[in-house]
Amino acid sequence: MAVTVLDEAPNLRALYAKAAVTAWGRGGDLPTDRLARKGVAVDPAHLAAYTRVCRLPLDDVLPATYPHMLAFPLQMALMSDRSFPLALPGLVHVRNRIDVVRPIGAGEPLDLEVWAERFAAHRSGATVDLCATVSAGGQEVWRSRSTYLARGATAPEGAPAADVEVSVGALDRVAATWRVPADAGRRYAKVSGDVNPIHLSGLTAKAFGFKRAIAHGMWVKARVLGALAGRLPDALSVDVAFRKPLFLPSTVTLSTAQADGGWDAAVRNASSGSEHVVGTIRPL
Amino acid sequence: MSDWYRDFANSGFGTTITKQLGLPRPAVLRRYEPGQPLLPGPAVIGSAGEGRLRKALTELLQAEGVHVQSPVTADGATDGEKPAAVILDATGLRTPADLASAHDFLAPAIKRLRATGRVLILADPPSQADSPAQAAARQALDGLVRSVAKELRAGSTANLIHVPEGAEGSLASPVRFFLSGRSAYVDGQVMSVTAAELPAEEDADKPLAGKVAVVTGAARGIGAAIATVMARDGAHVVAVDIPAAGDKLAEVANEIGGTALQLDITAEDAPQRLIEHLRERHGGVDVVVHNAGITRDKLLVNMDAARWNSVMAVNLQAQLDITQALLDADGVLRPGARVVCVSSQSGIAGNRGQTNYAASKAGVIGMVRAWAPQFAERGATINAVAPGFIVTDMTAKMPFGTREVGSRLNSLQQGGLPVDVAETIAWLSQPGSGGVNGQTVRVCGQSLLGA
Amino acid sequence: MADTSKPATRKAAIVGGNRIPFARSNTAYAQASNQDMLTATLDGLVARFGLQGAQLGEVVAGAVLKHSRDFNLTRESVLGSRLSATTPAYDVQQACGTGLEAAILVANKIALEQIESGIAGGVDTTSDAPLAVGDDLRRVLISLSNAKTLQDRLKAVAKIRPGQLVPEIPRNAEPRTGLAMGDHAAITAEEWEIGREEQDELAVRSHQNMAAAYERGYFDDLVTPFLGLARDNNLRPDSSLEKLAKLKPVFGTGEGATMTAGNSTPLTDGASAVLLASDEWAAERGLPVLAHLVDAQTAAVDYVHGGEGLLMAPVYAMPVMLARNGLSLQDFDFYEIHEAFASTVLATMKAWEDAAFCKDKLGLDAPLGSIDRSKLNVHGSSLAAGHPFAATGGRIVAQLAKTLHEAGPGKRGLISICAAGGQGVVAILES
Repeated sequence: MAVTVLDEAPNLRALYAKAAVTAWGRGGDLPTDRLARKGVAVDPAHLAAYTRVCRLPLDDVLPATYPHMLAFPLQMALMSDRSFPLALPGLVHVRNRIDVVRPIGAGEPLDLEVWAERFAAHRSGATVDLCATVSAGGQEVWRSRSTYLARGATAPEGAPAADVEVSVGALDRVAATWRVPADAGRRYAKVSGDVNPIHLSGLTAKAFGFKRAIAHGMWVKARVLGALAGRLPDALSVDVAFRKPLFLPSTVTLSTAQADGGWDAAVRNASSGSEHVVGTIRPL
Repeated sequence: MSDWYRDFANSGFGTTITKQLGLPRPAVLRRYEPGQPLLPGPAVIGSAGEGRLRKALTELLQAEGVHVQSPVTADGATDGEKPAAVILDATGLRTPADLASAHDFLAPAIKRLRATGRVLILADPPSQADSPAQAAARQALDGLVRSVAKELRAGSTANLIHVPEGAEGSLASPVRFFLSGRSAYVDGQVMSVTAAELPAEEDADKPLAGKVAVVTGAARGIGAAIATVMARDGAHVVAVDIPAAGDKLAEVANEIGGTALQLDITAEDAPQRLIEHLRERHGGVDVVVHNAGITRDKLLVNMDAARWNSVMAVNLQAQLDITQALLDADGVLRPGARVVCVSSQSGIAGNRGQTNYAASKAGVIGMVRAWAPQFAERGATINAVAPGFIVTDMTAKMPFGTREVGSRLNSLQQGGLPVDVAETIAWLSQPGSGGVNGQTVRVCGQSLLGA
Repeated sequence: MADTSKPATRKAAIVGGNRIPFARSNTAYAQASNQDMLTATLDGLVARFGLQGAQLGEVVAGAVLKHSRDFNLTRESVLGSRLSATTPAYDVQQACGTGLEAAILVANKIALEQIESGIAGGVDTTSDAPLAVGDDLRRVLISLSNAKTLQDRLKAVAKIRPGQLVPEIPRNAEPRTGLAMGDHAAITAEEWEIGREEQDELAVRSHQNMAAAYERGYFDDLVTPFLGLARDNNLRPDSSLEKLAKLKPVFGTGEGATMTAGNSTPLTDGASAVLLASDEWAAERGLPVLAHLVDAQTAAVDYVHGGEGLLMAPVYAMPVMLARNGLSLQDFDFYEIHEAFASTVLATMKAWEDAAFCKDKLGLDAPLGSIDRSKLNVHGSSLAAGHPFAATGGRIVAQLAKTLHEAGPGKRGLISICAAGGQGVVAILES
């Protein structure tokens, strides 16, 4: 295992382009190399823009989902590299778990490290986990695991079964209704740098087989946390499964229920009731 | 609501034009302003026969700071200061022959009368004469004063006060009124005073100081002017009008530092609500001005019951009901109370299309006359004021021709202003006006109608 | 031994009130601002009680929908009114509870002898509501005004996109739930199984009660006309069950939808004000004391994640206040329950009657019990008058105080007002 330390965040637009032109002829095992950055300072303006687009309160503690903003470009760099066995276009984010070990101050210098692991077999392809850990002062303060599904891909021989499910309670009481506008994907892309074409417009989404643009899963997850702001434990684990795509624009409902000292939550289509995101929030 | 014609006729160019065309030149009337001297010049007092009032009159005027000239000066000299008032004490009249001395005094004095002057004749009432000859002489003054009023120009007026024996003490307030600018549009009128107990003195600038005055129909027009003048004279005004006029009413109340009471005076419980309000908020009332009135004009043959009834209800029945309720309510109508009812020239002269209105306004005149003795018993008075052509929002909506003709058909050749009516009502409301009771004072510039 | 009991405080007197007639959105007051309406309302109150040039202890008022130009709204209105310019003022806002909360604030200061007199009020316009530019455009405009050089300005202008030029119209929706208040009320109506007919009945009675009150001159000393309007233009004296039954539901979904434009309050413009004072202050000026504000209580519920009805907070506030005053729900001669929606009033009363709810949620041994309907909103309420959010409290306080005064001394009245944000304000008045 080798760790490459980058001086700055990779350019995501360039990575998407690189991934697109190198999509073919991939295969083999997961790379064991890790990417890292040291002493990363959070840009307050970026943090503010992020909280605004996700409707999170802005204060001097990072939202649980914010370190993902820092880790994601590194994960993208891993996935777009030729050594990565799965083609980036077509990868679908199906599950994300974040653990906040302790609240992270917005002024703390952070060390990041990302890697890929758990190439697993899924009934409709293969999944792979992109992991990240964030440390401050030498202690791990945050970690995440993003599970991506590559439809039609094949996991290596003897791979474990994919684990993409999150189970929640009944959740039959609607706490809020959100009107998600058509430009929600573009707005989040602008802040997160996740310019995956499936989020940007109907046209670009069609090119990848979606009837309309779809909302970023991590944006929906952040909004759920925003709706529960002030009612969350300091150290927590947020584990969500991304189910049906949330097509833009849409009206969706958020249902919440207290469970095991935390919350169960579901974001569903307001008219059809189909589930976009379900998740659990538990004290760590 | 400026009188464009009056302004024009008094402008340089307008003066030339109106003179050459022989058009009337309505004068700018002398109207009262606080602090103003009683008269803008000296007064001359004469008498016909052995008058009993001359001394008291002289003292009264001198107390007001008026220089009193002798009749000789007025008669002889042409270079002395022109008089602003000519006063004839005719209480000495015994026969028509005595009237010659009235002529001898008035003719030269009136010739020298300055603009916006006042001619005031004081006489005994003809009804109390010793002989037919004395009655004839006293009655003759009626014709004399009404004619003088028509001959006077430049905003001058002439009026007659009947002063029965024993009522001399009541004279000060009417004399001051008729000489002052308060009576600007009261012309050619005959009224009488009676004996009454009067306060020793009152604040000349604030004759209504400390008084609570109710004015109905106070949201606009004449009612608003009444409220304003009453407040200027020191009264706390309870301004009353229908709830629908409440916003205008509040503006008036706020302008004059009074209070607004939204009340439909024709409602069954209106008298009771008014009384409760006065009792609760002020402990009683000193002055009530029944000003609220409506018109619903139609020729009698075309008039429906609704028009008839609504006009009667507001203009007459409400005045009756509220006044009666005030008389009945223990202690609300304070001692020395003044009730002034607004009648109308139509009630005296009649008016085509206004059978309902004229009937109601004539009724008011009968009402105050009938109630006067009862009021006198409590040291109170009830009087009516009958406005002539008063320039208001209402008249502004009349057709131009009707309005112009209406406003010129009087000796002052102009319409009156709401303030003229208000000044007369405020005068009748004064504590010192206790000798004026059961009267109907016309504020019409000696209108040709119903004269 | 020292007396440890609560020190006795004096009760603030309600001298009287004034409001302008309430107007449905975009009708008579379409061109009037909050300040216009509040100033006119204050002036009407000044005229009614002869307060020209008077320096009062304070004027407290607020608006739910405010422009940025409504900065210092109440103080600006005082400056434009006939009150003395030396009368201090401040704004408050507690959604539909604003008016009553303002009265409580003034009453408390009077009770503590910090002031002798004050005016509590509220105003709202849904016609002249603030149109916000979108967040993006707003940021561009701010950076534009901060730009120092031409180049910076051009850069800022270049960021404007056509889509940003569409203004955002404020919606009557809860920020945290995205649901209109009516949608929330519909959920509660369904939970409490409030039927269509009982809602319509309540609405008809409101209209009829208020129309009758107007007819007998009851509002003569409570309302001052404004901009040509002399009565609330939402008032339908000829309202009937048959007419209301024809209306289609506008809130709720499916078979269970019962809430129509007829049994819900419309968007309304208007303002109200109440004059409060110490008894001494009123007596010195020969002003009446209609009633005293005896006590008040505010409560809030977690309607977002807690499973409570948005408009059910008064249900929680009531037992707290009753217990403090040693009173039962039946110890009142008049009840004023704000009719945000007919279903809200009915659900509120049903909750007080519900043994299980009172035990589980309110922690009571026995339910508060039922209210004599003939004592409820006897001169009409918001369904008839309309509901300019912050102005409703003042309307109710003045109306109830007058009703108690008319009924004679020693009569008690109860006020219950629900407010956005899951809040509720209740109060006791006594003549």
